[in-house]
Amino acid sequence: MTTGGPSSSSLADVIDTILDKGLVIDAYVRVSLVGIELLTIDARIVVASVDTYLRFAEAVNRLEIGSEPKGLADLAGGGTEDAESKTQGALGAAGEKLGDLLGGGQEEPQRERVSRESTRGDK
Amino acid sequence: MSTSKQADASDQAADAPKEPRTTGVYVYGIVPTDMRTEDDAVGIDDSRVSTVRHGDIAALVSEISVDRPIGKPADLQAHAHLLDGVARVAPVLPLRFGAVLTDTDAVKDELLTAHADEFAAAMEQLEGKAQYVVKARYVEHAILWEVIGENERASALRDTIRDQPEAATRDARMALGEIVANAIVAKREEDTATVVEALDSLADSVNVREPTHEEDAAQVAVLVEVARQDELEQAVGALAERWDGRVEMRLLGPLAAYDFVLSPTPEG
Repeated sequence: MTTGGPSSSSLADVIDTILDKGLVIDAYVRVSLVGIELLTIDARIVVASVDTYLRFAEAVNRLEIGSEPKGLADLAGGGTEDAESKTQGALGAAGEKLGDLLGGGQEEPQRERVSRESTRGDK
Repeated sequence: MSTSKQADASDQAADAPKEPRTTGVYVYGIVPTDMRTEDDAVGIDDSRVSTVRHGDIAALVSEISVDRPIGKPADLQAHAHLLDGVARVAPVLPLRFGAVLTDTDAVKDELLTAHADEFAAAMEQLEGKAQYVVKARYVEHAILWEVIGENERASALRDTIRDQPEAATRDARMALGEIVANAIVAKREEDTATVVEALDSLADSVNVREPTHEEDAAQVAVLVEVARQDELEQAVGALAERWDGRVEMRLLGPLAAYDFVLSPTPEG
């Protein structure tokens, strides 16, 4: 947080907030009128996996001598942009993962997921 | 309101053979009935936002075409943008993204009338308050150095894999990665508690969110009086300073109180 004031919400922030939070009402069943495409909540859940472990290991492998915490002062400057690009990266990754799960973006499984989600919310 | 006239017309035609419905009413949230929508207030698809009123409460709605799926980034942003804008000036109960009813009568009867008392009571509690979200993300190289510095085995494994091909060091990499992942989980727990502690005295309510990224340090939503936003910024700023270079902190808000509205529990 470099400026002190609140920052505006990125798409990832919005997704974190409005897809699985907020009022769900019984009339919400009506959502079956529409299909929600693409982004589902399942894709965002953080699960430690082989991929995660290997990625962390590689990140450790890439740590360069001289980038130890003492030398961090230089790096602290570009904060906001850094955070932004990481956020988008995370979102992109979620999208890719979802694509993998669905074996390419058909609409059926997505719709099924959405209706399941609303059913749970109504309960 | 022009939208309700249209709805009446479509109801009268209910006897006629059913044609596929092409429009519905998208509902954003519930507001006090005296809340006026600006003429230029727009929602999903840049459609004009209006209110459907019932007694003291009203629903913020816009007409939506139902022959295309919603959920594109612009749709999500439009939903959030409208509600967060309202949250700055009036109490608002945000609906989860994607609520579409058949017409304005359905909004009035099934949504507003059915829940009038709960909605009015909930809005009263939100008066003068808004949601803010503190998002903290570890700076990767900083947190990795921290883990290696604190864990001898991780440090040794790092030497084992250094500059070796991945295929030849897979077991060591898995072991190292697992140590790092577990260490970050423990740090997240501790740092989230620190964030909550720092905000607790300012907040009416606190909701600790689940992490959505493996390097999340904390995600905490708070319900705070808008008049105390300065204090909140100072508290978050102090943490950001303390964790400078280690954790990237952001403060989002004021937002609609997504984390603090409870859905009415229908019987059964």
